[in-house]
Amino acid sequence: MNSLIPDTLQGALLLSLIDFFLSFVVISFIGLVLSWFPLLNRVGTWVSHKRPSAPASKKKAPVQAFVAEQEIPVEDVVAIAAAITAMVGDHHILHIEPHNAEWSTAGRVAHHHSHLPKH
Amino acid sequence: MDQIPVFLQALLDQTGAVHFTFGNLVMVIIGCTMIYLAIAKHYEPLLLIGIGFSCIVANVPGPPDDVPGGQAISALLYVVKEGGLFHYAYQGVALLIIPPLIFLGVGAMTDFGPMIANPKLVILGAGAHLGIFVALILAKLLGFSLAEAGAIGIIGGADGPMAIFVTVKLAPHLLGPVSVAAYSYMALMPMIQPPVMRLLTTKAERQISMEQSRKVSKLEKIAFPIVIAIIVNLFFPPVAPLITMLMLGNLFKETGVVDRLAKTAAGGLMNVIIMILTVAIGSTMAADKFLTLQTLEIVGLGLVAFLFGTGSGVVTAKIMNLFLKTKINPLIGSAGIASVPIAARVSHIVAYQENPKNLLIYHAMGPNLAGVFGTAISGGIMLALIGVG
Repeated sequence: MNSLIPDTLQGALLLSLIDFFLSFVVISFIGLVLSWFPLLNRVGTWVSHKRPSAPASKKKAPVQAFVAEQEIPVEDVVAIAAAITAMVGDHHILHIEPHNAEWSTAGRVAHHHSHLPKH
Repeated sequence: MDQIPVFLQALLDQTGAVHFTFGNLVMVIIGCTMIYLAIAKHYEPLLLIGIGFSCIVANVPGPPDDVPGGQAISALLYVVKEGGLFHYAYQGVALLIIPPLIFLGVGAMTDFGPMIANPKLVILGAGAHLGIFVALILAKLLGFSLAEAGAIGIIGGADGPMAIFVTVKLAPHLLGPVSVAAYSYMALMPMIQPPVMRLLTTKAERQISMEQSRKVSKLEKIAFPIVIAIIVNLFFPPVAPLITMLMLGNLFKETGVVDRLAKTAAGGLMNVIIMILTVAIGSTMAADKFLTLQTLEIVGLGLVAFLFGTGSGVVTAKIMNLFLKTKINPLIGSAGIASVPIAARVSHIVAYQENPKNLLIYHAMGPNLAGVFGTAISGGIMLALIGVG
């Protein structure tokens, strides 16, 4: 191995110092890049404004478009909407989407388990 | 009649039983314990079942090759040795094919939204890696070479594929103990982390509620893997294979137009890779190589790395609070150690126990995901400086 660092205790200390410090620098740089990400939304909005609008007849209603985009079967949407109406009354449902983030599921499970009746 | 003991001895010599040592017995018990923990305690069952089983198989000696028919039997029993299935599984690890494929699947499963939504928290992904360097220095003090110490230190990154990747490059002979220590401690994080988190925070700090993060657009989520792949390939070629595949998997997921590929990467392919990986790791756990003082030292250093990583993440969050107008809950600092999503879940649960209205999971996912990059960056710099990049 063509090591830049000597294989000694001093080398280990030096490697640790350089690596830990550079890790902070690099990850801060990534953070900085991410802080610029909201600018992408402005670009996206600007591009969508520039694009000629589609004929009105082809436009889908927002909920329909969203459902189609998420590939949720229409019958599922109807069933979910009916269940929500039965439980909470006549509310205007704005948003239905599949959940598949495991971490959010984990959070929900932890939360729900806290409500289990204790015997 | 006098010939009977001789015949029996000759029969016994043709089995593997005479080669079964006390060390093999200990390793079989360790393998059984892993399987028990996976089934009874649900500790990383996806990993421990395969590792435990192949550990048992690796420690059951077959017949010697010089026995007539021994070679033929070897093809069945000696799956671990050259020519056997487990041997080829190990080649997938040794040739660094498996770890990038795992990252492909992880990328296809992961929503990086929490990390994009709160960029200032990514610094915790570096802060929680002090454990890597504490373990590295201690390993050097114990007489390990610098390359071996680096491989041991990376256990503190709490990232299995990255630990395997770095270890195969720096010290392949330590793959068994390093990967077993890394995966075992990741499974034990719900027990290892909370005492350290509580020790380093006050009750008031643990009850800090955090503001809801902004919604991340689809455009940002698509741009993220492309931008990160460019940055990592530009600046960290040693670990680029892993992060590139992570980002490719994530791009499959976020574009939404290759659902089949995303589902395959996160589902079927990932399952196949896990099977291959676990038998590859377990098959390195033969008693003569595993039951050594070195292994005990590595396991001990791994624990030190996890404890210091957890502590340094919490302390980094507390230091950040000195400069931030809107305070963050320091419990999310420990999630910067990586081990997605276990560490974030631990942060959430500890905060929830203090205040049931405080749901930290989304906030903790930011540093948790940044921890994956933190480990990759630390590993990349280490490989470059030690000269195996």
